[in-house]
Amino acid sequence: MTIIIIILKFLSIVLGSIIAGFIGSLTGLGGGTVLVPVLTLFYGIPFIFAAGASLISTIATSAGSASAYTKKKIANIRIGIGLEIATTTGAIVGSLTLVTIDKDHLIFVVYILFGVILLFSLIPTIKKIGAEIPPETKPDWTTKLFQLTDSYYDERLKQRVKYHGIRWWLGEIVMFFAGFVSGLLGIGSGALKVLGMDWAMNLPMKVTTTSSNFMIGITAATGSSIYWYEGYINLFIAAATAIGVLIGAYLGAKVLVKISNENIRWVFFAILSFLGFDMVFKGFHLINFLITFSLTIQFFISIAISIVMIGLLYWHTKRKVFADKQGDKK
Amino acid sequence: MKNHDDEVIISYFLKAGVIISVSFLVTGVLIIFLKNGGDGVTLSQLSSYNYAYRHHIDSARISLSNIPNGLTALDGLYFITVGLWVLIFTPITVVFIGWVSFLEDKNYLYVAMASIVLFNLFFAMLVIPRYVV
Repeated sequence: MTIIIIILKFLSIVLGSIIAGFIGSLTGLGGGTVLVPVLTLFYGIPFIFAAGASLISTIATSAGSASAYTKKKIANIRIGIGLEIATTTGAIVGSLTLVTIDKDHLIFVVYILFGVILLFSLIPTIKKIGAEIPPETKPDWTTKLFQLTDSYYDERLKQRVKYHGIRWWLGEIVMFFAGFVSGLLGIGSGALKVLGMDWAMNLPMKVTTTSSNFMIGITAATGSSIYWYEGYINLFIAAATAIGVLIGAYLGAKVLVKISNENIRWVFFAILSFLGFDMVFKGFHLINFLITFSLTIQFFISIAISIVMIGLLYWHTKRKVFADKQGDKK
Repeated sequence: MKNHDDEVIISYFLKAGVIISVSFLVTGVLIIFLKNGGDGVTLSQLSSYNYAYRHHIDSARISLSNIPNGLTALDGLYFITVGLWVLIFTPITVVFIGWVSFLEDKNYLYVAMASIVLFNLFFAMLVIPRYVV
């Protein structure tokens, strides 16, 4: 009898991971960002095990989708490996920070940080719906030295897009933080990596997202090995999440091609912001600071706040799009 | 990268890594359900998260040098272990292929940078667990 319950438990984690992988792939945030809150908030799994299972599963999704992208030669492996110097260093520092936090019983800090970072990473993700090719800039000294000039074939525009990166040093700084967050929270931190290449280095969106995808795997491999020896990986949970997230990401990628309606993505943004708020609340709840009400009430407050927030953002974005269209007519 | 076949090779390596890893994971999961656990731990201990957390039933107690014995004894937990470690090594092969191709292109700046990345990866794997933590 108990074995049936355990099998159901296993399958329920697989199911949760499929959903997490699916949402992560549709929003471009990656499986881990959704998986860690789902495991800790709904399954009652200790943060450490959730982070461990999530980080190692991130490798599976990164490798799975990167194999498709690199073949199309959009991802820039040279720029990616160059930036990995900073992300792997960041991942080492981040995982060691998590080890220290865990030993000092300060895990509530990680919950709050997780929620805040999740909410903030929504902003660039929402904003990025739009521009494909970055504004024209002059190459700087790092462009030549670090060979940041390249091109890719854009299937939608049906032409070769030439591009060059700038401010390599700024990219490295952002990547260090991306790696740090990845090691500290057990996520791929794809949003931050995209920020590093898009905002700092002015690379085209296609190159940014595909390169960040394969970089996530390398960063997560660094953190995962430290997690392994620290005992943050529960094999039962990790096996379930790795399989589940991979299926979810695969389904997400299939659906993403077919989704033409941007509005659907807003529903997922609402879910993500709910998870973000709930993580912050749980963090405060752990130390009985400000939030002392029960988990169910926290749950409903988070839902309410996220609906209001995403509603306002949606309204704001749509109004801007409308105003732009009016401007075009004039 | 001048030689653009590298991207195709990388893509095959990534795909192969994921397939090998998932096959080991699925086999391992089936075995722990059939044998009710593995490596001296019962299935119910393994799946009660808080019990496992308090009693340190986690990756730290699994010694990687036991993998050959664990696999020959058909211990499910060691199959899962191999699956997860294949996953960890999969992206590392990408950096390695990159390193070789930079060397072929005589792009020594990037040979050096890829070496730093590989150094970081092995530092995290071999040095930190033994000496730092």
